Amino acid sequence: MHNTIKKLFQHGTVTVDYPKKPIKSSFITGIPEFDYDKCTRCKSCVNSCPTGAIVFVDNDKQKEKSPAVNVDECIFCRFCEEACPNGAVCLSNKFELAQKSRDALRTTPICVIDDDVKGLEYELLGTQLKEKVSKIFGKSLNIREVDAGSCNGCDNEIMALNGPYNDIERFGIHFVASPRHADMLLVTGCVTRNMEEALIKTYNAAPTPKLVVAVGACACSGGIFKNSYAGKNGVDSVLPVDVYIPGCPPRPQALIYGILKAIGRM
Amino acid sequence: MVSEAIFDAINRLLSSHIIESKLLNENELYAEVAQSTLKDDCIKIYKNIDCVLIDIFGNDTSEIDNNIIVYYTFAVRSSNTLITIYVKLDKSCSMRIDSITREIPAASLYEREIQDMFGVVFNDILDNRELVHHGNFPLNIHPLKKDFKVNTRLDFEKRELEFASISGSGVFEVAVGPVHAGIIEPGHFRFSVAGEPIINIEAKLYYVHRGLEKLSENENYMKVLLISERISGDETFTNSLSYSQAIEKLNGITYLPIRALYSRVIFSELERICSHIGDLSGLCVDTAYVFAAGQFAMMRRWIQLLCEQLTGSRFLRNANKPGGLRRDFIRNNDKIILECLNKLDKEFKETVAIIKNNGMFIDRVEHTGILSNSIAVDLNAVGPGGRASGIKADVRKDFPYAAYSNLKFNVPEHNNCDVNCRMNVRIEEVIESISIIKQALEKMPEEGPIAVDVGNLKPYSYAFGMTEAPRGENIHFVMTGENNTILRYKVRTPSFCNWPALCYAVKANTLTDFPLINKSFNLSYAGNDL
Repeated sequence: MHNTIKKLFQHGTVTVDYPKKPIKSSFITGIPEFDYDKCTRCKSCVNSCPTGAIVFVDNDKQKEKSPAVNVDECIFCRFCEEACPNGAVCLSNKFELAQKSRDALRTTPICVIDDDVKGLEYELLGTQLKEKVSKIFGKSLNIREVDAGSCNGCDNEIMALNGPYNDIERFGIHFVASPRHADMLLVTGCVTRNMEEALIKTYNAAPTPKLVVAVGACACSGGIFKNSYAGKNGVDSVLPVDVYIPGCPPRPQALIYGILKAIGRM
Repeated sequence: MVSEAIFDAINRLLSSHIIESKLLNENELYAEVAQSTLKDDCIKIYKNIDCVLIDIFGNDTSEIDNNIIVYYTFAVRSSNTLITIYVKLDKSCSMRIDSITREIPAASLYEREIQDMFGVVFNDILDNRELVHHGNFPLNIHPLKKDFKVNTRLDFEKRELEFASISGSGVFEVAVGPVHAGIIEPGHFRFSVAGEPIINIEAKLYYVHRGLEKLSENENYMKVLLISERISGDETFTNSLSYSQAIEKLNGITYLPIRALYSRVIFSELERICSHIGDLSGLCVDTAYVFAAGQFAMMRRWIQLLCEQLTGSRFLRNANKPGGLRRDFIRNNDKIILECLNKLDKEFKETVAIIKNNGMFIDRVEHTGILSNSIAVDLNAVGPGGRASGIKADVRKDFPYAAYSNLKFNVPEHNNCDVNCRMNVRIEEVIESISIIKQALEKMPEEGPIAVDVGNLKPYSYAFGMTEAPRGENIHFVMTGENNTILRYKVRTPSFCNWPALCYAVKANTLTDFPLINKSFNLSYAGNDL
């Protein structure tokens, strides 16, 4: 007992002060950024991208076609950085990437082959829901996590939210055991065939108003598991999504940013 | 090199049955046999040579010869040799082979997997239910056949899944999942319980089956590297290492820069520490021991932070590549690694002393979830689960890779077979890992290259890559196609072996102990389902 109490005081409070104080770390892997002055438009980055996230399109500020990134498809693999002969692409440390619509994450419109994306028509609904949520729940929120086909990287990061360093309960946000108690579904993974029904049932079991947050590159766009016989290309082909959190996997602070954004506290 | 004794033994046992045999990649022995003698040959090898069945998998080689090849891989752990018996099945004739499950129980899941993925039928199979496919999957569709396109959109069907049910007065069924109460991956469990004690458990997995092996086909080998990193999030490095080793082997690269070998050891061990400490934290959560859980979670975060400082990724993503490492991550960072490890070493030992002195905690873990040695051997349980049941196997010792042969370490041995034992194996492994990293940092040369160029891949060559993942023996088989693409990528993670072992270990325990026993094995659903 003596040792236990000693340990309790030894480390003091370890919880990080995010989002009150921004995280300043040069080690974080974030969104790829282009230096258009250095870029020779050689398209090496476009060809090296394994998920097709880098596109070659008209750019408002640049006079010619230039590379740009669709963040929802990016898996942060650094292949573009290594492929560029001029060092014009660099993975920055901006990790607060969550957006309320998938279009805000993209430079080119979504090109859907066979899955419907249910994003736009629900956008209006989403804003109404958000108002309701803040009115009804105040500032507290109950979350149910659903793994719909991730590699468990995102799940590990969500688990880290409950750990001593991030301690998400300080925002009044709890993870609950049943969708019946949940205001928000945190969905990871590309939505596999075998999880599709379970995911829809979980969504239906959660009482309205409810929010859906897609976590990780797979949940946003299918990521590296895109166009597989065994899965869909992201959560929005099955459910209406309120917030997209890109990343592979998104670090816990990026998740906090996204969740707070979903309930309008960011 | 393969010892003469094994050569002789195989020649003596199979003699006239061998159609073709070859030795590849220094320690991989391949022998082709006929469809009719396959069963006898496998059983002869299993019974007469001191080996274990580690993998059975199919390979559709339509591009070369219109065959489906089924490989049976046995590992001779005592002499660093892999024996692979394979049989060629003509696609136009009946694809039937005899099941070996009755003689070699570990084969059961592999046979069911091949039935689902290739449509090869096993005669006299013990369990004929679907393994990978669920009730929504159309019958007679086999995704790993070459005539099946990866982006096919299949219809959803409705078939009832079969579960073994136990009836009797006072016996109830409890269904759990796929969406669980905690933040864990999906899987469905059917418990047959008589009051509290569990009589039988049936696990239906493959909810996170993403078609990863099919997605790898005909893709550039560098893209498949990224897929291998995403097999299971917390085993990122070890999976990419297995894959890279297979590519290096099949392309004839035998010597890597020494800095690369030691860096790989350091990252593998960091991942092992991270995973094991996470498990210990989980065990404490499941026994409602919040203080210790918080302590371990804090230590886990230290290691994750160190990984991020070194590579930019908390899960060691983007670190590995065939031929070495993507960058020299360790250079000028020796000091922060040592600092972090010393801090961890002290804190870890102090916390372990506290939990081991807590009678209530030990009471929960002792004599819970016993996996007897004979069942562990039959099912080829690997990793901490196997080592706690007296199986002395560790890829780092048996099939040395990277720089492990130059480092001194012990593999913990325990024989009590319970949750406590598995926990102790993990605790000892963490301490060994810390010492391995320190040794590696000392022995690593100061300067030198970090990677070699792999060059173009030899078409239609194949090799196994083996590593010791935090969860156990990890085996990847890679066969190349033309133009630097991959023709077949077969992944067998330790979780695949240990799921049946877990189902045995929970029997006769109470339902409330299931989460604890599950956590003590800590199996990856994503790594199993692929």
